[in-house]
Amino acid sequence: MELASAPKNTLIKINLKNWQIRSEITWQIRNYFRNLGFREAETPTLRPSLIPESYLEVFKTQLLDRNRKGKKMYLAASPEASLKKLLSAGFGNCFEISRVFRNSETGSDSHQPEFTMLEWYRVNSDYIGIMDDCFKLFNHIYISLKKKSLIKSGLPDGTIQYSGKLINLKKPWLKISMSEALKKYAQIDFDNITDKDGWDLNSRFPAVKISAVSAKKGYQVSEYDSWEEIFNQIYLNEIEPHFKGETPVIIYDFPRPMAALAKLKEDDPRLAERFELYIAGLELADCYSELTDWREQQARFEEETKLRKKLTKTPVKWDREFIMALKSGLPLSSGVALGIDRTAMLFCDTKNIRDVLLFPFE
Amino acid sequence: MSQVSTSGFQKGMFILFRGEIHQIVTFQHVNPGKGSAFVRTKLRNLKTANSIEFTYKSGEQAEQVPVFVKELQYLYKDGSNFVFMDNSSYEQISLSESLVGDFGKYLKEGEIYQVYMHEDKGLGIRAPKKVKLKVTEADEAVKGNTVSGAKKIVLLETGLKIAVPLFIKTGDIVSVDPESGQYVERVNS
Repeated sequence: MELASAPKNTLIKINLKNWQIRSEITWQIRNYFRNLGFREAETPTLRPSLIPESYLEVFKTQLLDRNRKGKKMYLAASPEASLKKLLSAGFGNCFEISRVFRNSETGSDSHQPEFTMLEWYRVNSDYIGIMDDCFKLFNHIYISLKKKSLIKSGLPDGTIQYSGKLINLKKPWLKISMSEALKKYAQIDFDNITDKDGWDLNSRFPAVKISAVSAKKGYQVSEYDSWEEIFNQIYLNEIEPHFKGETPVIIYDFPRPMAALAKLKEDDPRLAERFELYIAGLELADCYSELTDWREQQARFEEETKLRKKLTKTPVKWDREFIMALKSGLPLSSGVALGIDRTAMLFCDTKNIRDVLLFPFE
Repeated sequence: MSQVSTSGFQKGMFILFRGEIHQIVTFQHVNPGKGSAFVRTKLRNLKTANSIEFTYKSGEQAEQVPVFVKELQYLYKDGSNFVFMDNSSYEQISLSESLVGDFGKYLKEGEIYQVYMHEDKGLGIRAPKKVKLKVTEADEAVKGNTVSGAKKIVLLETGLKIAVPLFIKTGDIVSVDPESGQYVERVNS
């Protein structure tokens, strides 16, 4: 009998420590939600139709039937539509860890065309309940990694090290609304870049006011820029860089043009109940109080479809079953998408997503 | 000056940002899931040598600064300036430490280098892929050390210290990659 020899394939480089951390993270995510009594779901990646999201490029493929007749199919960019269908059918609180696909996302240290996403949904809860989950989940993961000596030792309790900086997961996180952040970091009053009226639910924000504010700050503005593009540039240059500190940040209440599937705020319909979670500058999670009004959702799909056309994105077939699900009644709920690869980057202390994958894409 | 769109951005390119010449150090196209596309850049201000991060909207235009390359001879260091000479016109051109950056550690008096120029101003050095330098100080290899890949530190003629294989001796000429600062090979001749 031949003796087992040392493996020789040097083409595949494995970072075993990082893989162990990542594996523990997914294990603990399941553990956390099982303990809460959430159901785990498994929904299809291969889909005949999708939610039209203006800025996402999709993967299109073809299904061949027995007679080799082709049918257009897509790879899911998120399990959101399927999970909400389950909610409308009474599935209840649930979560899913799934592979999702986004096209034209190569050459970035924090994106991969195929990546792993955790989504969870809480019935009878708004986004505040999910904020609470995020805090508890990260601390749950931290404690188990610490117990298994998978994070740097000798640091103060509740802290990890990322990129040479201490990050405190245990102290209360900073919660800041988008309009507070605008004022604090960019010296902009939200009222000065939006019109209280002059738009309706089916139209996007006019860009006149924000163009003027942005141009005054020295940005290039063209008449073709949408409100959302101009806003996003200010956000990325002046607000987001402040989210790299010791304290994790939850930024909430996003302008309506940046919230395709979120519920609008009752007291200010210019804003939607959406939040994003940043830890150590990593954008980790994106949450909505779910839009349950099918008419409103359908109108936004039409808007997104128009925008996709303008942006020359691959046309997608709408998921009509999703609108049907809303029609039949989606319970009041909130849901969130959390990037597992980026969560692994945080705990592995790396700035490159490829370091936490066994088979990274260039 | 000509306009360059974000899709034409290249590492090392010189562009005008808020009225001052900057060099693109790094750039990355980002397509956030729920928003429009952007290009994140790190720009180095040539005057102040400070680097800043700026996010462009995808498709935005920037003014590209016309830059040409001139072969100049490095003469000497004068305080914090490196002084070069154009051997055809005998004109002298100074480059500050911040413009030369890390490459200053590889500059050898009397050698010819390629210098980026804008009008009559030097903007920086176009670093070659490899630089050949003489070893001026090297310890004898420790006998019996047969660990493959073992390294020792030697001193090069410009004052730079680098890690090399144990067989390198004083007087050897080695080639170094200035971008990574790593030893490449021995090039004795």
